[in-house]
Amino acid sequence: MSHTVDIPQPIKDSLRKFRFARRNDGSAAIVIKINKQKLIMEEVEQFDNISIEELAEELPENSPRYVVLSHALVHPDGRTSFPLALINWAPTTSEIGLLTLHASALLDFQTTADVSKIIEIREGPESLTTDVVNTHLLGK
Amino acid sequence: MPEIFNISQTPITAHAFNADRSQLAVSLNSNDAQILTRSGSEWAPTEMLTEHDKVITSIDWAPNSNQIVTASQDRNAYVWQQTPDPDTGKIVWKPTLVLLRINRAATHVRWSPKEDKFAVASGARAIAICSFDPENNWWVSKHLKKPIRSTVLAVDWHPNNVLLAAGSADMKARVFSAYVKEIDERPAATVWGSKLPFNTICGEFASAAGGWVHSVGFSPSGDVLAFASHDSSISIAYPGGAIHNIRMPTLPLVTLTWTSEDTIIAAGHDCQPIVFSGSDAGWQEVGTLDNGSYGTGSKAGPGSVGRLKTGAFATFRDADSRGQTSSGTTDSKLSTIHQNTITSVRPYAGVPGQITQVSTTGVDGTLVIWDTASVSALTGRMAALSV
Repeated sequence: MSHTVDIPQPIKDSLRKFRFARRNDGSAAIVIKINKQKLIMEEVEQFDNISIEELAEELPENSPRYVVLSHALVHPDGRTSFPLALINWAPTTSEIGLLTLHASALLDFQTTADVSKIIEIREGPESLTTDVVNTHLLGK
Repeated sequence: MPEIFNISQTPITAHAFNADRSQLAVSLNSNDAQILTRSGSEWAPTEMLTEHDKVITSIDWAPNSNQIVTASQDRNAYVWQQTPDPDTGKIVWKPTLVLLRINRAATHVRWSPKEDKFAVASGARAIAICSFDPENNWWVSKHLKKPIRSTVLAVDWHPNNVLLAAGSADMKARVFSAYVKEIDERPAATVWGSKLPFNTICGEFASAAGGWVHSVGFSPSGDVLAFASHDSSISIAYPGGAIHNIRMPTLPLVTLTWTSEDTIIAAGHDCQPIVFSGSDAGWQEVGTLDNGSYGTGSKAGPGSVGRLKTGAFATFRDADSRGQTSSGTTDSKLSTIHQNTITSVRPYAGVPGQITQVSTTGVDGTLVIWDTASVSALTGRMAALSV
């Protein structure tokens, strides 16, 4: 499969570290963006113990991002687990070229991050809520 | 004395002056915008802005940043900037496409007071608020949708760069908050409200008999909203207070502008600018800027109103029943300067709050610059109506 965007080694290391970090409470997230000029992925920031709504506020409204989320999920039977999910943050107001590049590199990023669940958020901050994330992780 | 310029034989759909009024951008009901430069008492065409695929419905020229925005029925808007041409070195207007993401024609466009955003009214029952995203080098467009139920016909910005008034074919004039998180700082509270996220409705008004709202305008302070609707009335709304409605016995007004905090100039299908004045105690029509002595047509005779008494029907009927081959020149020219509907009135000279001159363009292809101080009474000279 051809790679439109390269994933540099430091990003892969960050993703591995994020994946295996011990979680005690709350949700943690790592935000990755694509650098269109250099066609590589770059880490923007990491959040620890952040709520989903706060994360929605932090993300840019007009630019696509990949967010690997470790969410504190409370199961109906009382257990708490910390599954990994990939949020494909792709607001429709983003620049078209960047949006297409983001979409083409999604599959590649998903295999590198080794995450099985993808949550598509295309409308912006209003559609990223704790309920949406919980339904996604519990249901399917 | 009003200055009269015959720009073209085709209707002028939209016009906008640059900051020092030495250049004029017009759409002559075509896909291209013409830039005309003033040379003495004439306007000479200097450049053509060709990029749109359909009629350009609206043009606005930002005075400080010298950018032109054109909106068209082809659902796009272009922002034009003057840059040196890489090949010839001459200064040319370079277009940047703005993807409005609307699926109907754009009808009206206006730059915000700070010129960092512009609002595009459209037939898609939405207003696109466009701001520049420097990170991606791209104009982002966000939509104001709720609760607009039909085509938006006109928009006007509040001086605080956040509130936007919109007149729509669903017969309502509304005030929206067009607060864009990346561009605006939190605005101070106004009479329209405080703490206003994007797409908040700060006010919704309708005129007494309803009718499409053709034009809206905030007063220079931003505390009052005026709108002209198709029921031949003009309404002035004070938020939290009364709405004053002036019903005219004549044809509807389609465009208006505030010249000071207590004066409005509006124009429309009567082909002459009409002056209104008042305060929160009440508003009344004061007169017209066109006293009838400038036009070259003769006064229409009494009783010659209506489709059976004028025009082609009357010509052939008179030729048949009375053997008159020409009906004289009584019906062919109007006594007003403009010979057809005035579609746009804009401030020309003066400071916001004390406008001394306004410019009007219309379907007859003429541009007229009026002195706002020379108001004469409105008696018996409405285009074809005798009062």
